[in-house]
Amino acid sequence: MMTKRNTLRFFAAALAGVCLARAAELKHDLYVCVNVSGQGSVMGSAVAAESGLYRSNDRQNFEHVGVNNFRTFSLTHDPRDHAAIIETTIDGILRSPDRGKSWRRVTDWSMTEPKDIAFDLNSPDDVYAGLPDGIAASHDRGLTWQRAHEGIRRAYTHALIVDRATKGRVLAGTELGIYLSEDGARTWRLVQATSKVTYDLRQSPHDPKVMLAVTSADGAFRSEDAGRTWQEIAGVSSAHTLHYGHFDVHDAKRLVLCGWEAGVLVSEDGGRTWSDRTEGLPNRQVWCVSPDPDLPGRLYAAPYLKPVHVSDDFGRTWRPLVFEKAIVYNLVFVPHQ
Amino acid sequence: MKLLHSFLFRALFFFAATAGAQPSFTGPAPLPRVISDPAERRAAYLSRIDEVLNWRAFLVKPSDPQLVGLAEISAKLARREDAALCSERLVELMKKPSGDMFWMFPVVCISYLGRDQLTPEAKAAIREAWRTYYPLRGDTENHWAMYYTSLYLMAQLWPNEPGDRWFTGKSSQENFREAQDYLIHWMGLATTIGQGEYDCTHYLGEYAIPMLFLTSWASDPAMRQRGHMMLDWLMADYAADSLNGISIGAHARTDDTTVLEKWNGLASFFGWLLFGNCPPTASYGGWGIYFVAAAKNYELPEVIYRIATDRAGPYTEFERKRTRHRWRNSEVRNAPVYKTSYVTADYAVGSDQGGLLQPIQQHSWDVTWAVPDPRGVHNTIFSVQPHYGVDELMMYFTEMPDYMPLSVTFQSKPTYISEDKLLGGSPYEQIFQSDDCVVSLTDVPAGTTFEHVNGFFSKDLARLEEDTSGWIFVQGGRAFIAYRPLAAYEWRPNEKGGKILRSPPRQNGTLVQAASTGEFKSWEDFKNAIRALPLAIKLTPTPSVKFTTLRGKKIECAYGAAPRVDGRTIDYAKEWKLFSSPYLHADVGSGKLTMTHGSLKRVLDFNSLTISDAVTP
Repeated sequence: MMTKRNTLRFFAAALAGVCLARAAELKHDLYVCVNVSGQGSVMGSAVAAESGLYRSNDRQNFEHVGVNNFRTFSLTHDPRDHAAIIETTIDGILRSPDRGKSWRRVTDWSMTEPKDIAFDLNSPDDVYAGLPDGIAASHDRGLTWQRAHEGIRRAYTHALIVDRATKGRVLAGTELGIYLSEDGARTWRLVQATSKVTYDLRQSPHDPKVMLAVTSADGAFRSEDAGRTWQEIAGVSSAHTLHYGHFDVHDAKRLVLCGWEAGVLVSEDGGRTWSDRTEGLPNRQVWCVSPDPDLPGRLYAAPYLKPVHVSDDFGRTWRPLVFEKAIVYNLVFVPHQ
Repeated sequence: MKLLHSFLFRALFFFAATAGAQPSFTGPAPLPRVISDPAERRAAYLSRIDEVLNWRAFLVKPSDPQLVGLAEISAKLARREDAALCSERLVELMKKPSGDMFWMFPVVCISYLGRDQLTPEAKAAIREAWRTYYPLRGDTENHWAMYYTSLYLMAQLWPNEPGDRWFTGKSSQENFREAQDYLIHWMGLATTIGQGEYDCTHYLGEYAIPMLFLTSWASDPAMRQRGHMMLDWLMADYAADSLNGISIGAHARTDDTTVLEKWNGLASFFGWLLFGNCPPTASYGGWGIYFVAAAKNYELPEVIYRIATDRAGPYTEFERKRTRHRWRNSEVRNAPVYKTSYVTADYAVGSDQGGLLQPIQQHSWDVTWAVPDPRGVHNTIFSVQPHYGVDELMMYFTEMPDYMPLSVTFQSKPTYISEDKLLGGSPYEQIFQSDDCVVSLTDVPAGTTFEHVNGFFSKDLARLEEDTSGWIFVQGGRAFIAYRPLAAYEWRPNEKGGKILRSPPRQNGTLVQAASTGEFKSWEDFKNAIRALPLAIKLTPTPSVKFTTLRGKKIECAYGAAPRVDGRTIDYAKEWKLFSSPYLHADVGSGKLTMTHGSLKRVLDFNSLTISDAVTP
């Protein structure tokens, strides 16, 4: 007869076996942009644990990559050269040509605290970044940057996507709404006003015309015409700040959102109805969430100051994965070379 | 007898200094004295420098190298002693760098002081640390002043090196240019529309130290001159806004300790070191060692010294500053800040216009009274509308909103969300000051955190009387102060001493009138004089006050409207210059500060990068 301890060992071994088997399926590295120094960290604090980027190629073991920076917000990679990664940090934009072995800060003092960054897949020399006072554009793979936010009022920009179907179509989540540029960020027009910040924008991997936006005080929006018009998603409350929204690459009708006190919300019908899948997480202050592009049903969630959690049934059950007390700014998947 | 006392005191001083004590911190407070002889003034300054260096160097115990940190090494190198020990220890310290820009500038100090003292191994260890350790740049004006000054000087020290030799990944030349561009940009802002972190009780040091380093060690004569001029500029500003070395309100930033014990901030260390008119704070302000390590390179201009120590009588100082950078919830990047200070020998009254001008640690107005020894004394009275909220933090920080208020309390700002707090600005407070009278009006929407007003009443008040007229009369030092809560209140104990006047109504405010005790025959006379002043208070629909001040000005303040004085509407934007007082003058946008005191005049002109001194007959 199995004891409780033996049962746990059996399941752990089985889980490890599954994970090892799955590792072979993995086509992406998982990068975590994380502060593990706690909420008391300020400039000049002694370093208790290294924050910044952590990378895992097997979804089990995570190694610190690059500089210790407890305000590392986001990451992207050059679509032509997956070893070239670019991160946004409190210090500006940092670019590494070699998967984080060496770095160069590619912005100067005039650009600080960028939040999001995205390549144009149809013109991969062009990269765009959201700044707290506007938008920056690079036309040389992120080596040099210029400001590009003409037409945007109150230009705090937290989210950016570049339409993968059309060169130069950029959408920006700003303080007071979603802006669209159709000329490579030279000019912008407001396509959806909001009362506060739009914190995330996503384009469906199944249909480039379908897009998702989540906001601080206006709930979530969906667009079916590539961001020209937006409709509020009924059933998503505007009472809480939403941090992230995602489409599931494995299921065209599945979406997931998270936010502060909003927990994790999942829709299996394209956003018509939503179920709360926070149960099993240690709190509802879910900073970050992301499906795994390589593992169907796999979902990650990062509750505030708790371990990153993982679910293999898309949020119905959860288990802790990594870190003890983490503030996870972003979970990013970068394809293997 | 006097000679004997003098001898004993000197002997004690010497013993204390050699025994590693902090004699000026623990000894008697300096007596008010203006030293006219430049040589004597310089000698006193150098003696204070040596006191700090002696103390810090004495902390070094060769038998216990773990106690030797960057500060001790700076002191040792400044004294040109124990270079071998310093070098050995540096090799160890550079293996685990930590502290971001607060690590950078001490290492700059050591690197320059140690150019001809440190071993090649120590220099190599420092060099390697600047390749492998990535100090963060931070998000405040003081962080950037430290960061870019450090980067500038280290790029100058190690020129012509490629990007892979630097933590930034940029070459020496790129680092140097970026740092130079930022420093010039910042100086431009500060000298045309004002500092963002203005008149801080602590952060004065975080600007003064980098500027001293620039004037000491920049090879480029223009940058050296800029450093010198900015240091003069900062010290002139501080001198005019000080009372016996104590930085008076309003402050962009202070803290829970210094807002009450006005002396207990790093700024007072500079009062002690440069003006000799107050005791230094503990450990000479902590960071003070890094100023002192290079302080012999600076000579405080006499005109600034005299502004701080030798005043003919009361004066009003008007200043224009700017807010910290605003990212959200604002149409402007930097809103103007309008400051007024009225300074006498006995007390000072200072204020800004109210509103959210800085996050978390703003202090909008107070009365500070002079005391013979400020250590441990809460020599101040003020009120605040204790506000906190996500909108404030979103305005000044770029972080996600909801976690910030609580998080801030773990970041050395423990009272941020406390209803009893005495620190911080409010979007629902409007302030006007005329001479030594302050009117603060508050109109707080229901449901706001919080809705009430907190008035601080010090444990060190000599008198406190609640008058049936509605006035509360107090005396602090040689200042009589009349405090008028505009609405009902109750008393609550204050954890750090004294008590808090808590006034719950949302339409509310405070009226304060200060005066010197010497202006009245008696306490009763003062009270009678205040009671006789015409006063009309209305709280609904919005608060307003009409008051004729002790100085005979008829002021009318209504929440939401511009204040009026003697029937004239005050236009802050037109009337407030960058500096305007009998001592300092600068127009907005000018980049040019004229300092005057008696026959002395000094002009700092950032347009021509010149300093002009004149003595008028």
